[in-house]
Amino acid sequence: MKNVILLTIDTLRKDVLGCYGNKDKLTPFIDSLQDKCIKFTNAHSTGPYTQASFPGILTSSYYLEYGKQKKCSPKRTLISEVLNKSGITTAGFHSNPYLCDYFGWNRGWDVFYDSMQDEVSDTVPYIKGDGINHKVDQWLSSYIKSDNYRPFFLWTHYMDIHEPYIPAREYLDKVDPSIDLSEDEMLNLFKEVILKRDISNQKIVKLLKKLYDAEVRETDDYVRDFFRILEKYDILKDSVIIITADHGDEFGEHGGLSHDGKMYSEIINIPLFIYSNNHTQSEACDKLVSHIDISPTIIYLFGLEPLKAFKGHSLFPLENYPQKGVYGEAIGKTSSHEKETDEPIYFYQEDELRIIYRENDQSWEMYDLNRDPQELNNLINTSAKSEDMKKKLIPQINRWQ
Amino acid sequence: MNEEMKKKNRELIEKSKKIVRDTFVKFQPSESAITWTGGKDSTTNLWLIRQVCLEENIDLPQVITIDEGDAFPEITDFLIRASHKWHIDLKWLCNFDVLKCCQSHLNNTIKIEDLNERNQAELKRIDFELSSFPFEAESYAGNHLMKTVVLNQFIEENNIKLLFMALRRDEQAARRHDEYFTKHEGGYLMPEHTRVSPILHFTERDIWENIKLHNIPYCPLYKLGYRSLGARTASNPGEVGIPAWEQDLENTPERAGRRQDKEKAMERLRKLGYM
Repeated sequence: MKNVILLTIDTLRKDVLGCYGNKDKLTPFIDSLQDKCIKFTNAHSTGPYTQASFPGILTSSYYLEYGKQKKCSPKRTLISEVLNKSGITTAGFHSNPYLCDYFGWNRGWDVFYDSMQDEVSDTVPYIKGDGINHKVDQWLSSYIKSDNYRPFFLWTHYMDIHEPYIPAREYLDKVDPSIDLSEDEMLNLFKEVILKRDISNQKIVKLLKKLYDAEVRETDDYVRDFFRILEKYDILKDSVIIITADHGDEFGEHGGLSHDGKMYSEIINIPLFIYSNNHTQSEACDKLVSHIDISPTIIYLFGLEPLKAFKGHSLFPLENYPQKGVYGEAIGKTSSHEKETDEPIYFYQEDELRIIYRENDQSWEMYDLNRDPQELNNLINTSAKSEDMKKKLIPQINRWQ
Repeated sequence: MNEEMKKKNRELIEKSKKIVRDTFVKFQPSESAITWTGGKDSTTNLWLIRQVCLEENIDLPQVITIDEGDAFPEITDFLIRASHKWHIDLKWLCNFDVLKCCQSHLNNTIKIEDLNERNQAELKRIDFELSSFPFEAESYAGNHLMKTVVLNQFIEENNIKLLFMALRRDEQAARRHDEYFTKHEGGYLMPEHTRVSPILHFTERDIWENIKLHNIPYCPLYKLGYRSLGARTASNPGEVGIPAWEQDLENTPERAGRRQDKEKAMERLRKLGYM
């Protein structure tokens, strides 16, 4: 039996990866893995931010299933709990405060590092990728030698791409050496532009995207180092590695910045690939898949029975994966602050059509992603398919009310 | 205490007094209230407001304390003694409905269906969706019902527009940029009001120097080593047996003895641009 490793990267847009067609060479290491990967070209997040996407990733359920609460509901079943009960060692390493002990994501882990007891810098409030790798390295070094070594499930999450974008000079140089900003100036852009969701100056928005790209480049190095650690302990060959992002990020595509309650491609479309030494050539799958399929896939890889509590479907065997739509939900906030009055937003996608419903103004949108990948031309009042698509989303809306 | 320290203390106090005076320009004492936990900060705060009221012939606003059902007896005793000394008619607030449901016993199970309508609505508002929970003052539901709800209800019933609080900027990094006055927008079950923290600029060291200098009473638990007092079962001494003011205040965390997980998570989330 192989180990299963889930590597999640916060705020990583699909379109910055070379293996998804980006030409800027921001992810040389991840791209180099593709020979041994199945790449999903049509993968979707269950929501636009951590709180909405991680219920999908780690519990195969949707954000609002148990109400609007911020904490992970005790009614959810974490993949770690299922595996742990089946005798598989579970270890999680991350530094996202929304996934910390306090918010209830610590259930079912033999080892759970959420960084909350460690000091973080004043400007970048999380442990960086090298620190996370170090923790993984430390754990593996003792676990590998221990008498009760058995296949494990390891989850590692990198925060580095998440704003404030303050990349190291080294990575800024790789993206655009002409950018001459101090750390303070970058922090100021975060406070004055990103937090205010101010996209009035296109030049500044482009500059922010470059800072973001530099963080992507930096994170690619952390992924490389992570693989080196696995090689060092000679376990890479015995591991299946699922790599994905929790959500993307916006740079003015739909009037905003960061990742608020919106359901457009720059935030909802995510990279997803599965690395295995058994693969001998790159493979791509264009089926519509979702975060909620990740936990069922892990269950399958460990040879366990599918779980009724999980809403998703195992990605393996690939030929059995059903043709189905993908769905997501969140609170439709449009700034860094979620207000009490903010109401849900939902999306459903089938083939090339994506329909979005916003509760606060009861507005509908529908886009043809083949013809209009930028989602600028709302077809809801003109397409013959609108009513049919509405009918498919409405039961989900009623479910929440 | 040397002259320089006394001068610094005078400046700190003058700054706080000015904020209190400014507050009374904007708000009537009758529509204001002072929160008092019996801790060192809120006691200092009350002392200071009371000084201003005496100096300026202003009625002291009503003083309230919240019994969260898990108080140290030492704090209760202290509140009784100090209010007597200062001739304060202290108003004790308590969510009796919750205490009734757990027979006032910590960790007894509270069934949501047994709670009154208001408490049930409040739990719904914070998206608490279990059918029961063990009573604990600083748990998610417990903290909300025993403190926030009680305070909101008091504000609403007494038409309070202003609350005097005793927050300090150095208490936790998340408060470093706090303002003296903060307006709390109204919402469902949450009355609109303003909060003012006149001692915001005091450090933990300043608090102790001020207490000693002006002979302000304090709870004896600080003498035993507690640095920060919350619910009994959620507070621990910093260094046992060493009075708070003799500990390394500058280099060790004040609230290390308190549950910090939530505060830490909130602070990091703020820096990431949330909340």
